[in-house]
Amino acid sequence: MIANAAITWLPRAIVLGLLAFAIFGPLANLVLWSLAEAWFFPNKLPSQWGFRYWEQVFRPTGRAMESLWVSIWIALLTVATCLAVSVPAGYALARGRLPWRALIMLAFLLPQAFPSLPIYINVARVFYEFGLNGTVAGVVLVHTVHGLVYAVWISTAAFAAVDRELEEAARNMGASGLRTFFSVTLPLALPGIVASAIFVFLESLDEFTGSYFVGAPEVTTLPLLMFTASMGGNYQISSITALILLVPSIVFMLLVERFLKADVLAKVGT
Amino acid sequence: MRTLMRSTAMIATGLAAGLLLVQPAAAQRTINVMTAGDQNMVDYVTDFLGPLFEKDNPGIKVRAVGTGPGDAGSQKIWERLDAQKKANTAQWDVDVAVVHQKMAGQMVGEGLLDAYRTKVSTGGLVTRDTAKNALGTNVDGYVIPMFHSQTAIAYNPALVANPPKSYDELVQWVNTNPKKFGYNGIKGGMSGVAFVFGWIYANAPNAQQLMEGPYDAKTKDAWGPALAKLKDFNQKVVITPGNAGTLDMLNRGEINMGPVWVDMFYTWQAEGRLPPTMRLQILSPGLPGQPMYYVIPAKAANMDAARKFVEFATSPKIQAEGIVKRFNWYPGIDAQHVQSHLDKAVWEKLFKDVSPQDLSSKGKPMPISQYFTEILEAYERVAAN
Amino acid sequence: MTRSRGLSLLLVTPALVVVLALFVYPLGYSLISAFADKSGAWTLDNFDKAFELYTRDVVFTFIIIAVSTTLIGAFSVAIGGYLTLGENRTAIAVLAWLYRWPLFVPFIVAAQCMRTFLAKNGLMNNSFVSLGLLDIESTQSFLDWRGIIITFVWKQLPFVTLMVAGAMAALDRGTIDAARNLGASRLRILVEIVVPQVRGTLLVGLILSFVTMMSVLSVPIMVSGGSPTMLTVDMAYRINAFGDYGVANALGFISYLMTGLAAWVYLRQGVRERSAQ
Repeated sequence: MIANAAITWLPRAIVLGLLAFAIFGPLANLVLWSLAEAWFFPNKLPSQWGFRYWEQVFRPTGRAMESLWVSIWIALLTVATCLAVSVPAGYALARGRLPWRALIMLAFLLPQAFPSLPIYINVARVFYEFGLNGTVAGVVLVHTVHGLVYAVWISTAAFAAVDRELEEAARNMGASGLRTFFSVTLPLALPGIVASAIFVFLESLDEFTGSYFVGAPEVTTLPLLMFTASMGGNYQISSITALILLVPSIVFMLLVERFLKADVLAKVGT
Repeated sequence: MRTLMRSTAMIATGLAAGLLLVQPAAAQRTINVMTAGDQNMVDYVTDFLGPLFEKDNPGIKVRAVGTGPGDAGSQKIWERLDAQKKANTAQWDVDVAVVHQKMAGQMVGEGLLDAYRTKVSTGGLVTRDTAKNALGTNVDGYVIPMFHSQTAIAYNPALVANPPKSYDELVQWVNTNPKKFGYNGIKGGMSGVAFVFGWIYANAPNAQQLMEGPYDAKTKDAWGPALAKLKDFNQKVVITPGNAGTLDMLNRGEINMGPVWVDMFYTWQAEGRLPPTMRLQILSPGLPGQPMYYVIPAKAANMDAARKFVEFATSPKIQAEGIVKRFNWYPGIDAQHVQSHLDKAVWEKLFKDVSPQDLSSKGKPMPISQYFTEILEAYERVAAN
Repeated sequence: MTRSRGLSLLLVTPALVVVLALFVYPLGYSLISAFADKSGAWTLDNFDKAFELYTRDVVFTFIIIAVSTTLIGAFSVAIGGYLTLGENRTAIAVLAWLYRWPLFVPFIVAAQCMRTFLAKNGLMNNSFVSLGLLDIESTQSFLDWRGIIITFVWKQLPFVTLMVAGAMAALDRGTIDAARNLGASRLRILVEIVVPQVRGTLLVGLILSFVTMMSVLSVPIMVSGGSPTMLTVDMAYRINAFGDYGVANALGFISYLMTGLAAWVYLRQGVRERSAQ
């Protein structure tokens, strides 16, 4: 009986085990490298373990701390800008009557339909002429247009999911349009909007290509620092900064599952 | 509610941090040093040169920004100066720049630089040809070399008992030991570029003309067989991501031989990132080396401070302590001025594997700039395509 | 509330302006720059040069993306299928928990992981050697175009699987149960009943992945050393080393063509679906 169960479980276990290795192996590698002080060939594991590189990364004057603050600052500004434009747009797309609706929707779908690298190259060139290249403002603008893709659609879906009858009930009780929006529609759509804010924050924090062309070398976000460290062969520093970048992602992954309701998620990107 | 409070706190912290970062350095003067090259170039300014200069010159802060390895890094600096020139900005925001030869020549040609060498006291300490001629362009007066460097083939003597001594021997070695030699192609670092130039010097006619000129548009027609041979060679070697990539793969035993910058090699060994058993060798007929130049933009915002900085950086004491001792480069100014400041052991360390005779017979300059560009393009067209 | 068209238009304008200024305008700029030479005259020289120097990379970019997309499609259907049709609850729970992890790992972090994981003496090969499956001399480095495929599949699979599994879970179980009662094998049910019904979602997920992968710079530049590599690396090289916007934009145009068909299908689908809402 037990032998039978073991036999039926064996192929499953092997497949799941391989999958776990494939998924966690590369991540475990990151942890190993962050703790390795010396790792030569042909050793399979580091010959010397320690936190020396953690100290190097976290010292207050270090570049990593500065990059972290710059990245967070840029991400916050991006969320603010993105929400400021996407919440009204989402509401209009969900509820309003828009002329040329199809064309407007096409415009918002465009950034998802074209590879973005050539766009960033040319944005950088345009920014040079306006003196925006190499500034925080320039990077925020690039991250905003990248984040709009998620923000507009999630907020549209969030507003669309609000039950119209509740809004109409409020209107029937004499509330003005604006009042209805702030006391009925917005609070109900809030979880979806917060989810979009989280997406935008994460996308901005992790964004590399745009920052590489528009920000470097003055604005060094954490991904750029990671990239430079990795290309310079400094795997310990790049692994540690990679782990720093992972923390907000994993934290928000747990939060998002709480906020994102099934109907909103189903409408994302479809 | 709690999330709202937390987010407000985050935003507040972010704002505070942001304001601190966005505000320019108040009261003090800050000179902006932009340097092309690998991370070691930036570290040189942030960890060594900057603090020493600030100590000697209170009231001046040094800010170093790295633009990346290879000519791409120098290109970024050029773009910045060019943009400011075109916009007729009165004061440019780069005070000192460290660039490669090719870009220095271009910058002089376009009038982007200040002719400062005669205006600093250390200007007379460098008499080498490289201070006057950058790949065929006359740059006399506009540059002082920061250092001279040389590429060589690093190898692991435990795994390579009899390293090849010439390019031809290397080809034979690679045939019997496929995928054990690595270099970074022409992207991501100049060590690979230097290797390709050395290959052309060895396998194509008119090597002297490539190095000294005059430029003739027809020369490249003779490169066909050499490039075809290189394409074939590329199939049996590993292409690494860059200067550091080659060193890293050597360290991890993934390749046993590869071209490296001599200074990066010694620095990595000193830091424990490369086994101390590794050795160097220059292939005959030769491998290129290059200086990197200190230049001052024509409209630098802090011209006096910039000149002081370069004067400081090219003084014999700093060249001895920083360039040679700490970072393992060959000095930028003439050797005799520097040698007296170092004890014999430190000086000899520079020539451990690559003797002065090797340097003079097998250390070559890079090709003149028109050939420089043409060889790279021919590589992309034939050998990499 | 917004019965007035004017107000709706006003609300949508800021977002539109951002997209127009920072996406559509550079897109137009890029198209023009690809076909113009330094003096502004129309020319195909940039394309000549692009193909002269980078034909191999154009072909390989297409191969890499096509293979990655196919693998992502196949694996996501397999995982989604098991989650929907599987019978062992523990295995399903483990799988559901397992497959999501790479979802929130940014591309650049994935590239860093893979760079040391897939190396000749990296963790993957070392593990196989320790288990006795490979001997140390025969290990291969996967840090070339195959490594790029592996990284892309690793990172994008959870995203597409999430969408596909969600769509499969929303299906009416009636058809599935009926087929089971008739004795059809689970594989057959997956292929003939489930997949056709989630085809729309699968297609959208794959198209989004296709376009995303065409935009990534960090993975090819960090994982693969040299040629053949993806067009994104060549574009960056052209800009950084030479400031050559003409050829870089020509390469960009080629990448637009590659995504062109996929983009058209996506845009048509997207507009149609949203008009229906």
